[in-house]
Amino acid sequence: MPEIDSVEQLLKIAALVCAAVAAAILIWYLVRKPQLNRPVKVLLLIGLGVMPAGVALTGNIAGYEYTLKRPFCGSCHVMGAYVRDASNPESKSLAAIHSRNRRFGEESCYVCHADYKMFGAITTKLNGLKHLYYYVTEYAYTGPDGEGGPTIHLYKPFKNGSCQQCHSTSAPRWSGVAEHQGMLDEIRSGEMSCIGCHSEVHPTALAHRAKAEKPAGEKEEHK
Amino acid sequence: MKITVERLVSISAVVTLAAIVLMVVSIVFPKPLLLVMAMSLGQGIGTLSLALYLLAIALDLQGFRGEVEEDAAGTAPGSGPPAP
Repeated sequence: MPEIDSVEQLLKIAALVCAAVAAAILIWYLVRKPQLNRPVKVLLLIGLGVMPAGVALTGNIAGYEYTLKRPFCGSCHVMGAYVRDASNPESKSLAAIHSRNRRFGEESCYVCHADYKMFGAITTKLNGLKHLYYYVTEYAYTGPDGEGGPTIHLYKPFKNGSCQQCHSTSAPRWSGVAEHQGMLDEIRSGEMSCIGCHSEVHPTALAHRAKAEKPAGEKEEHK
Repeated sequence: MKITVERLVSISAVVTLAAIVLMVVSIVFPKPLLLVMAMSLGQGIGTLSLALYLLAIALDLQGFRGEVEEDAAGTAPGSGPPAP
């Protein structure tokens, strides 16, 4: 029997148990067609209301937890190059280096790309719906890694705040870098972007390839 | 087609089963499109089927009250229309 080693797995099992109980009650009702007396009504309320609500609730949380993980981001084929690089233990890209850090781990895509405001999780997931829309309408029939589709780019410039979750800009080792000292205020205010210098984030991504299509006037990818 | 309480409950049960299938598929195969379908369509029709069931029960209770009045007049007691 596989081990349950995360809340997500536990929630998935709870959702499946709720679904099985609900299905058993409903199939029993549809097959046997008992008279609608009070015990049957209560049983149906469990099968039609309580258990499906349990499936929806636990399934939503388990689904949300899974959407934070790198395999979920990689489930759209256009992300293949990004995810392969981030998962490559030999890669020296920023994405791969951070993915090897336990703080990021399997959730490295989300940790760096999520919005960090009060409703950051909601706006991030709404952007996820936008990703899905573009995937279905523009990338669904593109090559193995999205070749032939429009250049993949962020909706808005990458914010230094994502880097500053860990790199507080006050640690001695960070401050010891001459370039950091010279532009400390600009970095803190966001005027100077971290990835302006540390640009090797997703080097194998399609946007960086020579053959990638790039619509006129579109900015270079910011990851 | 005659709409009866039993028929409403049966429709509600079938629709709930469909909603559960949608939600379970998204749990077993968590792909973006399936997750969106489960969280929107699956939960939407699940809620609709519960509303349908509650409507059926409300109708049944109304029918039950009518039969109580008939009981006072000497007719046979029952909790609702007979099963088909």
